[in-house]
Amino acid sequence: MITLVRVDNRLIHGQVVEAWLPFLKVARVVVADDEAASSPLIRAAMALAVQSAIEVQILPLSQVDFAALSKDGVRTLVLLRDVASVPFAHAHGLALDELNLGNVHFGTGRRQVSPSVFLAEAELTTLQQLADQGVRVAARAVPAEKPVDLPDLRERWAKAG
Amino acid sequence: MVGLVVAAHGRLAEELVSTAEQIVGELPAVATCNIEPGTPVEDLRAKMKQAVARVDEGSGVIILADLFGGTPCKESLMMCQRMNVEVLAGVNLPMLLKANSLRSEQLSLPEMANQLASHGQRNITCASALLREAQQPRT
Repeated sequence: MITLVRVDNRLIHGQVVEAWLPFLKVARVVVADDEAASSPLIRAAMALAVQSAIEVQILPLSQVDFAALSKDGVRTLVLLRDVASVPFAHAHGLALDELNLGNVHFGTGRRQVSPSVFLAEAELTTLQQLADQGVRVAARAVPAEKPVDLPDLRERWAKAG
Repeated sequence: MVGLVVAAHGRLAEELVSTAEQIVGELPAVATCNIEPGTPVEDLRAKMKQAVARVDEGSGVIILADLFGGTPCKESLMMCQRMNVEVLAGVNLPMLLKANSLRSEQLSLPEMANQLASHGQRNITCASALLREAQQPRT
């Protein structure tokens, strides 16, 4: 069972551990990221950050069985590093009702759409395609924040140019 | 809801609260007391009282001070006698985050204060040693 899918450059970090995990009450966190999965050090550091009652899986994107995660009964938070990973996961069985944009860092060609989210045009297009397929896309760094939905993100992106 | 006051030297109190809010979102019923060099004790005392009054909703207040024996701690201790106030010394970020989440549990003020003291201490670890242990093969 997918409880939330979050795009966050930092994957497992303070906002996730201190705010989202208590809020969502999940039993499993899945980090689907090639870079994190390839480093024993990163895997160990991330697993240590999460309380032991919650299972942590850190796997390369292509090795995650998204269909199985979506079908079983375990409440799961899925963490992806970037927007570009989302269509792949979705195409491979990830149940995606809602996509949470947490932290997408500033970079060349990106524009600010919320305090912690900067998007490139290609990413905005990807998000729109997901929304057209029925996914609710919203920026929300922590649960206490009001979500900013895609139409507003698009508007802010246009104004930031 | 139990009120929280963070009282510390310099701008530590303000920055601790600001940082906690970056991590979990806005914190209700929280006030800060910055103690700048040269502030007369009378002014500090008045600021502390104002801060406590501002966040006291009837369930009491926990003051998180920086140094045991430091002025913020001493002035806080003076208030213990007359008000429903608990004082913790050695405030850190994990303690502040925990204080916020513990408020939604039905704890007495002293019990909450004691749990916070333990939590703050428990979260001081040698993180690199933990990482080494986590990477050790199981025997």
